[in-house]
Amino acid sequence: MTETVLETTNLTKRFGALTANDDISLSVDRGEIRGIIGPNGSGKTTLFNNLTGFYTPDEGSIVFDGTDITEWEPHRIARAGMARTFQIVSPFRNMTVTQNLLAVEAPDSIEDKHARAREILEFLEIDHIADNEARGMSGGQQKLLELARVLMLDPDCILLDEPSAGVNPALEKRILDHIQELNDDGTTFIMVEHDMDVMRTIADTVTVLDQGQLIAEGSFDEVTGNDRVREAYLGREVDLEEVLG
Amino acid sequence: MDLFIQTLINGLLLGGIYISVGIGFALVFGVLEVIDFAVGEYVMVGAFAGSVLAAGLGIDALFVVPLVFVAFYAIGFFVQPFLHHVTTSNVPMPILMALVFTFGVAFFARGGILTTFGPNTREVPTSIATGGVTVSAIGTFPVARVLTGIFGIVAVAAFLYYLYNTKGGLAIRAIAEDRTDARLMGINIARYQSVAYGMYAGLTATAGVFIGIIFAADPGMGMQYTAFAFFMVVLAGMGYLPGIIVSGLVLGVAQAMFSTYVSGAWVFFVLFALVYVVLLVSPQGILGRGEPVS
Repeated sequence: MTETVLETTNLTKRFGALTANDDISLSVDRGEIRGIIGPNGSGKTTLFNNLTGFYTPDEGSIVFDGTDITEWEPHRIARAGMARTFQIVSPFRNMTVTQNLLAVEAPDSIEDKHARAREILEFLEIDHIADNEARGMSGGQQKLLELARVLMLDPDCILLDEPSAGVNPALEKRILDHIQELNDDGTTFIMVEHDMDVMRTIADTVTVLDQGQLIAEGSFDEVTGNDRVREAYLGREVDLEEVLG
Repeated sequence: MDLFIQTLINGLLLGGIYISVGIGFALVFGVLEVIDFAVGEYVMVGAFAGSVLAAGLGIDALFVVPLVFVAFYAIGFFVQPFLHHVTTSNVPMPILMALVFTFGVAFFARGGILTTFGPNTREVPTSIATGGVTVSAIGTFPVARVLTGIFGIVAVAAFLYYLYNTKGGLAIRAIAEDRTDARLMGINIARYQSVAYGMYAGLTATAGVFIGIIFAADPGMGMQYTAFAFFMVVLAGMGYLPGIIVSGLVLGVAQAMFSTYVSGAWVFFVLFALVYVVLLVSPQGILGRGEPVS
């Protein structure tokens, strides 16, 4: 039987007249890779901000690992095991790679932070630059460092914002392989990604948002065949004769 | 030549204590993104606290230094949440709000001291830090200044050790670099901001005790040190802490040299001319390592 790791119920966030997340109820199983897609402005980033505590939802609740975290602050959510990366990477530039990992407030279950940091850097194959300052790293290495940092939290669930954006194909494959490997070990992923090939390859289930609402959910092929999803991306089919009279 | 070396050493000793005023100010700027106008008033109140405690307890002012540190650490730790509140609770211009708040703290501190002790200066009593140390062929240096310089160096070394070698220090530096990322990495920024502000208040007030030993505690002395703190941060480059060591020493030596060779009256004029030149020529500080706040 599958176990739910994250569940939102009627999640709503408004900014003035704009409802950025509108009554979103979604449920993510443990060990799943969930893709979130939707046109620009559909509420994907707002959803991530709600889930990680940067926004407090106006309505609805978020339950993670059986605990209601709706009102929690970001650092508490991170320590509870829900981590997040950004599309634009921003490591602590004036620290070394290792220090970037040691700065993370890892949960108490990790006894030897130094050993854990080494282990993660070896896993991601960036241990050879462990003592380099982050400011001098290439964009790709910074992307891996960002992943390394969140792994220090020993997360159950990782929210990824466009993990393949701005990286070359070889590195993209490397990142996706690592994601797959972590997923095989039981880590859940929720991923916003514009690259549909990536989504098709890696996501178990895809959730589609449009104008703040959850409009479809299912396998990649199911949702891309859905009329409402096509409409959201391509616009409504217009009968020219009707418009022109 | 002797006069030159003597002036230089005096300037470096003075610089040592200026560093301990500037470094906390720079840290607060980086970690809280707050320009604290009250910095000089922490120096002033620290000097008065040293004076009152030493007189009240009947002990040398040097021995009340740890007490002053602990007391002001606690004050800072409890002031910071208010500062956090006024800068984060949906205000349209948080930097401006922080300025108003710290202005308020500064006036409150100054008004409180004037009301309690009146406008006169108070001695910060010490029997240890008196007399002079004679270095052959160079001259005699007041013990108070030598101890003050040593204190400045030791305090700043301890401060930097904490920042660069401990878990808490790493967390504070992480917050200074990127608050959002720090929170995502599980760092409780409200708590560490309180720690940082507490350390700053403690360090600055302790520096005040030493400055009080040299010059006496004066209710009007604060503004000068606020100005000095701004000077050091601009010269060091915004957000670049090690630069404060250089700019503090430059400040101490420049002040000593101008007082000796030109006139004490010109010191401020020259220092601020220097700040404007640095801002125009190298806005990232004299070492070029400063970074804009993200």
